[in-house]
Amino acid sequence: MDVGFSGIRFSLVLLAIFWVQELVGREVERRTVLYALAYPVSRAAYLLGRFLGVVVLLAIAATTLGGLLWLSVVQSGGQYVQAYPVHTGWPYWLTIGGLWVDSLVVAAFALCIATLSTVQMLPVALGAMFAIAGKSLGAVLDYLERGADGDQMLIERYGPLLEVVQYLIPDLSRLDWRTWPMYGIALADGSISLGLLLAGGYVTILLAVSVLTFGRREFF
Amino acid sequence: MKAELLRRVIVAPVLFIIAGCIVLSLVQERLPGVKRARPRAEIEVALPLFVQVALAGGDRHLAASWAVLRAMVTETARMAREEYQILGQVQEDASWLNPAHEDNYYIAAAILPWEGQVAPTQSILRRATLARSFDYQPPFYYAFNQVHFRGDALGASEWLRRAARNLPDAEEQLTLENFAARWLDRSHDLDLAASIVDTMAAQAKRKDFAAYLRQRSQRLRDLAALRRAATTYHERYQRPLQSLDDLVRSGLIAQVPADPFGSGFALDQTGLPVLAGGVAGGGK
Repeated sequence: MDVGFSGIRFSLVLLAIFWVQELVGREVERRTVLYALAYPVSRAAYLLGRFLGVVVLLAIAATTLGGLLWLSVVQSGGQYVQAYPVHTGWPYWLTIGGLWVDSLVVAAFALCIATLSTVQMLPVALGAMFAIAGKSLGAVLDYLERGADGDQMLIERYGPLLEVVQYLIPDLSRLDWRTWPMYGIALADGSISLGLLLAGGYVTILLAVSVLTFGRREFF
Repeated sequence: MKAELLRRVIVAPVLFIIAGCIVLSLVQERLPGVKRARPRAEIEVALPLFVQVALAGGDRHLAASWAVLRAMVTETARMAREEYQILGQVQEDASWLNPAHEDNYYIAAAILPWEGQVAPTQSILRRATLARSFDYQPPFYYAFNQVHFRGDALGASEWLRRAARNLPDAEEQLTLENFAARWLDRSHDLDLAASIVDTMAAQAKRKDFAAYLRQRSQRLRDLAALRRAATTYHERYQRPLQSLDDLVRSGLIAQVPADPFGSGFALDQTGLPVLAGGVAGGGK
């Protein structure tokens, strides 16, 4: 289940970047976006519609991959009874939901880059880097919060920098709730709601920036 | 003119080909005698924590699983002693990334302390105990390592009682609590050990077990009293105790206390009172 969650997390992020690139980046690059914009539809509506399409596609992918993992987890045990069985009920699906929201943040970021980029692969490259940075941030913050193995100089040097960084890059590890289905460890109060708010706030800002940049974009 | 140019064009490459063939033949003659560098080490590298996280695409759980997989496929039979330090580091990192990882603490407890890596093992087990508050095994292994490798009977007893609380079966709980009480016999601070056993007796739900624990604490107090008397005897007569009866004859104690468990008390080779036939050392 542990490695399965990681696989789903990876897959959803890759799909998010790929679909944004295909549905927006490539349309802009080939100028086929102009055919769509020739209809009486605003650029903002076009962009948000595309994002909504990616959201739905990612939801379908998350449900499908989550279902396959669920089946393999339930079936793989056979007659063997684990001393501490994993939880395959709604904590499992909540975790899949968290991974889906995680991929939406990455999709919003890739969309934002796609609206201003003139280089075809930039949304893909920056989207992947953003995903890795956002997911790694939690481990780095955790390390410093726990005293950095007594390395006070490290905390003094990088602590203030990370204070700023966590406002620029969302801590995507806050959307990873797998300890609940895997170990039955209850999540801290507010970890789900604040995680969702973090993602929601970030997606809102990125979409607003995307609409602004896409509205001013010249295609020739 | 053309013939001259052609000769130059052909001669130069031919000369290079001949030179190359000479070099190759010389190398081929000597190369088989040169020993190949084979990667003999089972586990050579413990990457920095954040490199592991970055390589796992920022997913700390995946980084932990990857580190545990490395530990699992490492063939310990082929490992040099210094490589266990690296294995310990890899598994300690994995426990930092995912402290609740079951395979990690289990493998660590089975391999690392026996090869001198007690500190990382205890760190892994401590983290696992905190993360897996429902699991009796991490504190159980921690307790065992504490008493076996570090000789810390007080600490071991405390962790064993912690493990007992996580056991679902009341009889199994009782067994572990009994071990926790018995390990206290090894403590150097017998008065403290006795008071811990008294506390255990006060918390025990079963009356017969509480009575048993009170007998154990009394035995520890009796042993502590005997040791104090032996110290006084040594100071007074400048010689070690030869027999427990010497304490009675010198008037330091009224009588040798009776052991409720029948084993009695004895002296070790240095004249220190110990539990006869017990875990505190060989008796006389």
